[in-house]
Order: sequence, then structure tokens, then C-alpha cells
Amino acid sequence: MFSLSRQTVRRHLPLYAGSFVALAVGVFMLGLAATATAATIAYHGPEADSILVQLPGTDGAGPHSERVVLSGADASGLQVVLSMVGVISGFITIFVIASTFAFAVASRRREVGLLRLIGATPRQVRRMVFGEALVVALAASVTGAVLAQLATPFLLAKASYTELAPVKLEPASPWIPLGIAIAVGLVVALLGARSAARRAGRVGPVEALREAALEPPQIGVVRVVFGLVFLAGAIAMLALIQPGTGEGVVPLAMFTPMVLVVSLTLLAPLVVPWIGRLWALPLVRWTQVSGRLARSNVVAAPRRSASLAAPILAISAIAGSMVLSLSFAADAAAATIRDTLTAPIVVTAPENSAAAPENSGELRERILTTPDVAAADGGISVGIIRADGDSAELEDGEGIDPAVAATTRILTPISGELANLTGQTVAVGKEMAGLEHYKVGSEISVVFGDRAKGTLRVVAVLPDAPGVNGSMLVPLALARQHAPAAVPERWFVQPAGGVDPAQLIGALDRQLSGTGAHVVRAEQWEQEQADGLRKGNQLGLVLLMGPAGLYSGIAIANTLLMGSLQRRHEFVTSRLLGATPAQIRRMVLWESSLVGAAALTLGTVITATVGILLRHAMTEGLRDVPTTIPWALLLGIGALCLLLATGAATAPTSFILRRTSPADAVGD
Amino acid sequence: MTSTAPTRHPVVPSDPPALLLDGITKTYESKAGAVQALRGVTYHFQQGSFTAVMGPSGSGKSTLLQCAAGLDQPTAGTVLLGGTRLQGLGEVELTKLRRKQMGFVFQAYNLLPSLTVFDNVALPLRLTGIRPRRQDVLAVLDQVGLADKAKRRPAELSGGQQQRVAIARALITRPAVFFADEPTGALDSKTSRQILSLLREATDRAGQTVVMVTHDPVAAAYASRVLFLSDGLVAGSLDNGSPAQIAAAMSDLER
Repeated sequence: MFSLSRQTVRRHLPLYAGSFVALAVGVFMLGLAATATAATIAYHGPEADSILVQLPGTDGAGPHSERVVLSGADASGLQVVLSMVGVISGFITIFVIASTFAFAVASRRREVGLLRLIGATPRQVRRMVFGEALVVALAASVTGAVLAQLATPFLLAKASYTELAPVKLEPASPWIPLGIAIAVGLVVALLGARSAARRAGRVGPVEALREAALEPPQIGVVRVVFGLVFLAGAIAMLALIQPGTGEGVVPLAMFTPMVLVVSLTLLAPLVVPWIGRLWALPLVRWTQVSGRLARSNVVAAPRRSASLAAPILAISAIAGSMVLSLSFAADAAAATIRDTLTAPIVVTAPENSAAAPENSGELRERILTTPDVAAADGGISVGIIRADGDSAELEDGEGIDPAVAATTRILTPISGELANLTGQTVAVGKEMAGLEHYKVGSEISVVFGDRAKGTLRVVAVLPDAPGVNGSMLVPLALARQHAPAAVPERWFVQPAGGVDPAQLIGALDRQLSGTGAHVVRAEQWEQEQADGLRKGNQLGLVLLMGPAGLYSGIAIANTLLMGSLQRRHEFVTSRLLGATPAQIRRMVLWESSLVGAAALTLGTVITATVGILLRHAMTEGLRDVPTTIPWALLLGIGALCLLLATGAATAPTSFILRRTSPADAVGD
Repeated sequence: MTSTAPTRHPVVPSDPPALLLDGITKTYESKAGAVQALRGVTYHFQQGSFTAVMGPSGSGKSTLLQCAAGLDQPTAGTVLLGGTRLQGLGEVELTKLRRKQMGFVFQAYNLLPSLTVFDNVALPLRLTGIRPRRQDVLAVLDQVGLADKAKRRPAELSGGQQQRVAIARALITRPAVFFADEPTGALDSKTSRQILSLLREATDRAGQTVVMVTHDPVAAAYASRVLFLSDGLVAGSLDNGSPAQIAAAMSDLER
């Protein structure tokens, strides 16, 4: 049967070209993510700048040591993004492959029927389809892996010295990562081919004698049951996106759409025609015949409509939710910064001040001697490595003077007393406390940036305020002791009672002229922080959604192209019945628009649901959170999906119509 | 035209029946209600006979062929093929029986476009798990006059040549019964004669049984007997009729 598979693949190359391209691109992205991850793992940073932390080890893992790069300049940010790229690529690959293989089998019912007629058992047919998948998968996976290997140096060159990886990355040995990518590609293809092979096995020998190639419209019970199970799972996940969940809420908001997409794709043969019918209402009214025909085609072939809608639904829902979630997360972060900072003025030190610490003392002196300054709060950042049983985590510690800091920021503890922040003590954020089960009185083993070991006692748990507070707040004296060269990067300045901040800004400007320091209103500084956050998000978004979007675009075009090319006979017959080429083109245009609109409707519902829930969860306890909806990006995603869908459907139709005449229907 | 009245056949034939239909009915359920395609057909196809099945459109001839070949299950009645009862067989057993005992030739040539002529002919053996011997495949191709086309693909052959490949594919397993549905429907008269002669040869030389559905009296005249169907019932038969006699009997039926 294997040689038969090989020969049928060769024959049906156009049909399998779609599956090949889809899988090759999928393996390419997986391979690229894998080789780049290998490069980040292989990256070791400069020896002088890192600390070897001895860890006692917990259950199972014995004592071992872990290297921590003190500057924080490692590739861990890139690593996180790459693993997400891998997950999303894998997810969309399974998706695309399953639908393209199903398509390839569905359009060959007659041939499969013939094999059954001349004596192939259902099992042999299943093996043949499986064999075909294997042939395509092998070729595509190897191609994708080779391309990934060729592209790796370019990606690493692009990714080096960015916010995500402020270091130089070199390609590592490709064998293991590419092996993994190929294996994943093969497994994904065979999983996708499994359902297609099962369906092929059910084709009866009589199919060889039938002319109509339309699939029976029933939808399997199993498919519906699985669809409902996934839907229930997704609803349970949605229910978790609420204020109490805390830090898990953002990843939850990113993965729930995937589960929803799986569920709705399984249920698509039921849902898509129904939504398509709604969208068709105005269409039927406006057009004479093409809208009506398009509606019947979408409704009469629910499976075809469903597999065409699947990739559009997947990318619009996943990309939409991610864009909206990140934007809302940035909104919430901006509101947190605004609510935490009470000082109306921020002084930022010049960038090179770390090189000349003596200037810093001068800066401090000048700020404090300015008339009407009530308090100037300049925290010192100090690297603190939290060494927990079996992991070492670099935290951005900040040394503060609790008495001063309390006048410029809101530092009301959830539990404990900030006044106790003296000696070997620490105040931690609520998120870290929750994750690590720290309570007031807990002791944390740490290694400081100067390689000194210590134990810090928790004296207070504070509300989280990233961007304003460090993740571990320690007494100023302790920070000075372990980071003698460090200087404050910014000062929060509180004017004396009754003094207009605008006047003080003017005074400070004059006082600090020549030092290179900037004096700005707190609002402006807050805006800069939020903008920086959004810019960082944007880079991650481009890395995450760029390849996935490209891939989905290929998939959308792919399925619609395959779909239209299969319909030559139908088009020719319609021509014979008196339809003009323009009428057929319009029918196909409306048809693909209906499917696209139905898929985008579902994608929008998912995006909006996740966005609203996430926003509610993240903004609890914050007032007047700004709402930034990236309309241009969201509408752009939708428009691009629709454009691809209609373009990929109408282009081959025009091609077919130019190449054929009604007379072909008779001879066919 | 000699007789269109239903003719009784001996219940116990001298030769064992190659194919026996006993009280076959077939009812299709549709939205408009039940449609009876066959309403109780009982008939023996004797070994080595060449029977043409004729009848107006909708008389049930294609349904009869599909039920007889086990491609479709009758609503009631039994089919015995070479002594094996088809009803109650599973999909795999049916497939194996089909593969060993039956050969098919249809109007649409039904070749796999991806395979060469040689591979198309050898396919039934491969499906059975037998490694086809080169000389066997070439021998059947020679029988249909295509020994020189073994390396071609179907698209490179004319309609008649493709149909001969389909016959060669049916011949290779030496099936007991050939089922042919309008095998000459898409061919010109000269090519049709070649195809029909090949089927005739199979019965005369190898004692194989041929059941052929057709609407063409000229094609039917190659058969030793024509069986007429009307409204899902056997309406009569005609032995060794000329095309003119068969055409006359048909127009009587359609009246």
C-alpha cells in the first residue's frame, strides 16, 4: 500500500501541495523557535557578571547550583516568547493540517470508492490515506526543518540586542531542536490524517458509481460531544478570569481563546451555516440571484463551510484576544502606577550617572536644598537573587527609606508594618507572596549582587505596583551596603504643603541645570512608563503573532484555493444553465464573504468576551482606568482575513472560468 | 419478438448457479415517501452464462446489479454467490469475496489515474496481498490487446483502451462473475464490439458468468439471454435475440 500511497500523492500533487505547504511552514516555525531556544539555552553570559548560586534542592532534586546573570542581561525574555511561539505554531499547525487532509480526502470520494469496489478493505483504505499523510509529512517536515536551519542565523541576528534579549546570540547545535520539530510535525500530520483516514474508511464501494461528490451533511455525534466538552472547559476557564485569580489571569486570557477556537471549530458545521444565514439576510435582499445561491451553498455544505471558516476563526480569535488582552493589561498597569505614585514631580537622573556616583550625591543635595521640597524619594536598585530550595531567581530589589517613600507613594501594607523595615528585612508584593507563600515573619534566603549571602525577614506585604516599586523592598542602608556604587535612577519629589507643583518644577529646573537631570510632572512620567510597556508588548506581539498570522494567512488562502479548484464541474454546469461568468464570480465572492463574516463574528465574540472579563479582573480596586482599544490593529486583522478569504476564493474561480466553456459540462 | 411473458426457470439447474437472487426487494426511503426500486426479483444466473439486463429507466436494473454484487443491501431477500450467502457478511468479508469472486466494468472507466496500466491491472492482486507475477499481468493485457501499453497511464489512452484495461483488471483475479454496468455507454460502435467480444470470450472460454446492465439492443445481442425488468419486477426474457428483436421487446415494455 505504501507504493500506492506514494503514487497517489504524486498524482494529487495540487491537492496535497496545500497540506505540504501548510505543514512545511508549521515545521519551519517550530524549528525556528526550537533552534532559537537552543541558542538562548546555550547562551552563558560573561563569567564576571554572573553568580553561581548553590541550591540545597528539594524533594527529588539533589543539591545543585545555578548560574544567574547579575545584569539581568540574559535571553530569558526571548525564551518565554519563543516557547509561546512554539505553542501557538503547534496549535495552528494541528488545526490547519487536520482541515487540509480532511479536504484532500473529501474531494476524492469516488477514487476511494473505486478502490473499495475492486477489493480494498476499509482498513487498507485507511492505511493508504495514512501512508499518503506520511509521505507528505516526511517531505514537508524535512523541508521545513532545512529552511528553519537556514533562517536561524537571521532570526538570531534580529533578536540580539533587543529588549527581549539584550545580548549577542549564536546558533547552537541544530540536531536536537530540529529533530524535535520534525517529530512534532510528523505527529501533528498523522493526528490530523487520522480522522481523515477514518472518514475515508467509511466510504462505500457504491461511491465509485455516483456522480455527485457532495458529502452527506450529517455531523458526527462524537464531534458534537467533543465540541461541547471543549466548550464546557472553555467556560470553566472563562469563569476563572476574575479578580480573585491574580497573576494567572493574563496567561489564562491567552490560552482560553485556543480552547474556545477548538470547541467552535468542532461545532462549526452547526454554527457557521446558522450565522452565515443571518449575514445573508441583507445580501439576499440586495442581490438578484448570486446572494441567494451563495446562501444555499454555505448552508447546504456545512462541512465545507466549516473547514473554510476554521483558520479565519482561529487567527482572528487568538490574535484579537492577545492584542486586546495586552492593551488592557497595559491600561491596568498604567492605572496602578498612577494610583501608587502620589508625588506630583519626578526627577530622572542622567543616563550616565551610574558611571559617576559622586555626581549623584550632588544631585541629591541640589534637590533637597531647593526651597519648598518636602521630600525627595530616591530608591536604589540592588540585585537580589532569591535562592529557594531548587531555583534561583534574580529580583529587582529596591532600597528605600520607608519614612520618605511613604510620603511620595502609597505604601499601605496588606499585612505587616512598613516601619519595621530596618536591618535584615524585606517587604514583598502580594503576587510574590501569594506564589511563594510568604507571610509576615517568613525568612527568605538570598544572595546579593556583591555575592554576599543573607537571610531576609518579611515585615510587610504590599499591593503590587510594578514600575513604581521594586519587587523586593529593603532598607536603604542594606541596599547601600551591598551595592555601594548604585545611585537612584529617579527621584519622586513631594512639594511642601500649599506649594504649586508647577512653580516647584520651574525652581528645580533652574536648580538642576547642568546636571543632565530631567524634571517632569508625574503625569508625564507615568505616560512614559505606560508607553514603554506598550512598546515592549508590541515587540512580543510582533514576534508572537507575526509568524502565526503569516501562517494563518497561508492556511486561509490554501483551503479556499483548494475549495474553489474542486468546483470546476459545478461552475461549468452553472455556465451551461445560463449563468454568466460575472454571476458565478459574484456568487463565489458572496459565499466566501459569508463564511469569512461568520468566522469573524465568532472571533469577535471570543475576543470581546475574553477582553471584558480580563479587564474586569485586572482593574479591581483601581479607579478611572483608561480604556485603550487598538481599533486599527483589530480592524486590520479582520479586514485582512476577509480580503484573503475573498481573494483566495475568487482568483481561482476567475481562472477556471477563463479556461472553460459551458460545453465542457457535456464531455466531462 | 417472441415472448415477453415471464418465463419460469428450473429451480434445480443442471449446472450449479453462479449467482442466485431469491425474492430481492429494495425500498429507498426519501422525503417524498418510500420508493420501491425492486419488488421481489428471483432469478438464477447459470455458470458460464452471459446475461444482459434491460429495462426502461427506473425499472431497477442498476439497483439489481448493485444488490447482486453486494454493493448495496436488499431490503429483503437473499443473494447467493457461488454458494455463499451475501446477507449477514461483514464489510471486510464482503470486500474479500468481491476481490476474489467478482469483476467490475463500468461506463466510467474507473481506473486509478495515478497508476500505470500495469499497476492498475495488478492492483486487485496487491490488495489481496499477492505479489503479482509480471507474466500474468502481461498475459491478461495481451488478452485485451494492450500488452504494449503496460507503461502508459490511463490519461494517455483512448476511452476504448481504458475500458479494455478495466476488463483486464477484472480478468486478473479470474472472478466467477463479471458485473458490467453500461460498459459500452461511452464508446463508439467499433470499440464497443471489441469490449463485448472480450466479455463474451470470458464466458465461452473460461466459463465465467457475465451480468451486464445495458440499454443498447446491439450490446444486449452479444448476450446469450436478455432479462427484461419493469417496475422492479422481472418482465420476461429472450434467448439469443437479434438487436431488432430485443429493441422490439424493449419498446413493448416501455409502452
